[in-house]
Amino acid sequence: MNVATTRFFKSGTLLVWGAVLSYFYFSGRVADYLHPAFHPGLLLSGVALLALGVAVFFTRGKEPCGCCHHHPELPVREAVSFLVLTIPMVAAALISPGGFGSVAVMNRGLIENISGLPSFSPPVEPPLPQQDGSIGGEVMMDPSPYLAKNEKGQILAETVDLLYAASEPTLRGDFENKAVEILGQFLPARTGNPHGDRFNLVQMFVMCCAADARPVAVAVQSRDAFPEMTWLKVTGKVTFPLVAGKHTALIVADSVQKTEPPAESIIY
Amino acid sequence: MRKLRPVARYAQVPAMQWFTFSPQDFSYAFLSVLLEGIPFILLGTLLSGLIDEFLPSKTMTRFLPRNVFFGICVSGAMGVIFPMCECGIVPVIRRLIAKGLPVSNAVAYMLAAPVVNPIVAVSTYAAFRGQGAAEFTAIRLGLAFFVAVLAGLAVHHLPLGAVLKPGILAGPDADAGPAPHRGLGARLAGAMDVGVKDFLDVAVYFVPGVAVSSLFSTAVNHEVILPLALNDWLAVASMMGFAGLLSLCSTSDAFIAATFVAFPGAAKLAFLVFGPMMDLKLLFIYNAVFTKRFVLGLAAGLFVLIGLLCVRLSVLGL
Repeated sequence: MNVATTRFFKSGTLLVWGAVLSYFYFSGRVADYLHPAFHPGLLLSGVALLALGVAVFFTRGKEPCGCCHHHPELPVREAVSFLVLTIPMVAAALISPGGFGSVAVMNRGLIENISGLPSFSPPVEPPLPQQDGSIGGEVMMDPSPYLAKNEKGQILAETVDLLYAASEPTLRGDFENKAVEILGQFLPARTGNPHGDRFNLVQMFVMCCAADARPVAVAVQSRDAFPEMTWLKVTGKVTFPLVAGKHTALIVADSVQKTEPPAESIIY
Repeated sequence: MRKLRPVARYAQVPAMQWFTFSPQDFSYAFLSVLLEGIPFILLGTLLSGLIDEFLPSKTMTRFLPRNVFFGICVSGAMGVIFPMCECGIVPVIRRLIAKGLPVSNAVAYMLAAPVVNPIVAVSTYAAFRGQGAAEFTAIRLGLAFFVAVLAGLAVHHLPLGAVLKPGILAGPDADAGPAPHRGLGARLAGAMDVGVKDFLDVAVYFVPGVAVSSLFSTAVNHEVILPLALNDWLAVASMMGFAGLLSLCSTSDAFIAATFVAFPGAAKLAFLVFGPMMDLKLLFIYNAVFTKRFVLGLAAGLFVLIGLLCVRLSVLGL
């Protein structure tokens, strides 16, 4: 009886975990939680856990040896273990919204300068001019014709693009006074907003999983207001005003519309 | 030693609420760490099952130098060949100990391997590009190795009963004598049994650990630690505490550490060496193998040792 009960709890735990992992992969919800590099591992683990769960269920366990020494695999212990392992995971899967709310975003602090972005490294010094005055080494081509654009010819930008552009003169030229379309989540601008005509557009930047997500924000000049973390599509002109001696990205909005969250709500 | 740094912009930050709990944010962070960590724990436990079934007892000790010091040094460097993350390594060393690997060697491997491995070297180098990446990477790996070896040497002088939970050293079949000849299928089934047992044993500590770290990573305002950057001692201590609370994966923590621009390099180094060796989830997971007293002692010892070394290294201009 004890062996069968223990096997039931073990198998049940593995099956529940395997089902949750597989569900997240096949439903596509995994894209809101993990960097794509981890998706295959999640799928393999989900399938492996399901297979192990089935195998454990149908495998005849070791019979009690009849001796007097301590056996840690008691049914009560296994039942508690089953509850500890399955209830929090299933509950989290049910209530987790697939994105951080404003509380976690504000607790983590907005990244409004590219130097605060994980993985950012300062650009290398440009090569010195050659004897004829031309720039040696690699010649930077004008990337603007190759930037992805929507049907109206507006550049499809991300918050990270604009933070990079603010820090580097060449990139700044690619965006300055150009029309862009950008998706992000609404947060009121609590600082640097003396006239009350700005809000922050936020995208979450992830290295591995959502636990290390950092909110990357650009300022949008508009008096529109929405509930916090509402997904918005903003179109407008990019400017880089000087704030405390540094260029800062600011979108002067032509249009601000509520929109559905994109398929991939986090950027890498 | 630098004592003060300009942090004027932090002084302008209005009074903040340091703790705000949101169940949705908590569940999102909790689930994301589970989804990221489970595959690594599963890999580690499947490996532990194979070790248990197919690795003959005492094999490991035959390949290690007989000299205790060199043996521990080799164990500390084994991550270069057998890289493991901090979540997956505990079930592996549990089985290696049962197979006769000295506990001191196992502890050195357990502490060093999540840092002293090629994956972490590359990620640290990439994260600190433009900030003395090569030097920083070398110091991170070197310091982690040094600390792991010191910890291994300290464990060598401790009685086993004070370090290991009952039953870990002997292993389930230690007294069974030579195993009767069994077919491959039976041995694989045996490996699966052991792997599943180890997986569930570790997971039962992993889940509460992730819950606690998710609570801190979402509910606590990160800006509360920024004023601590003013002083080297406080900066180092607070960054180690922060690493412990965040419980990040060692392959990605460098990218997060690099963004703490207000903190000196020594504090970032402490974050990157201490975090993979001891964080909230590991505090729970280590309990699957070690006694509570040892785990708490190890946490305190690593905190003090790494803190002192990093503060001392700040004279290098880190």
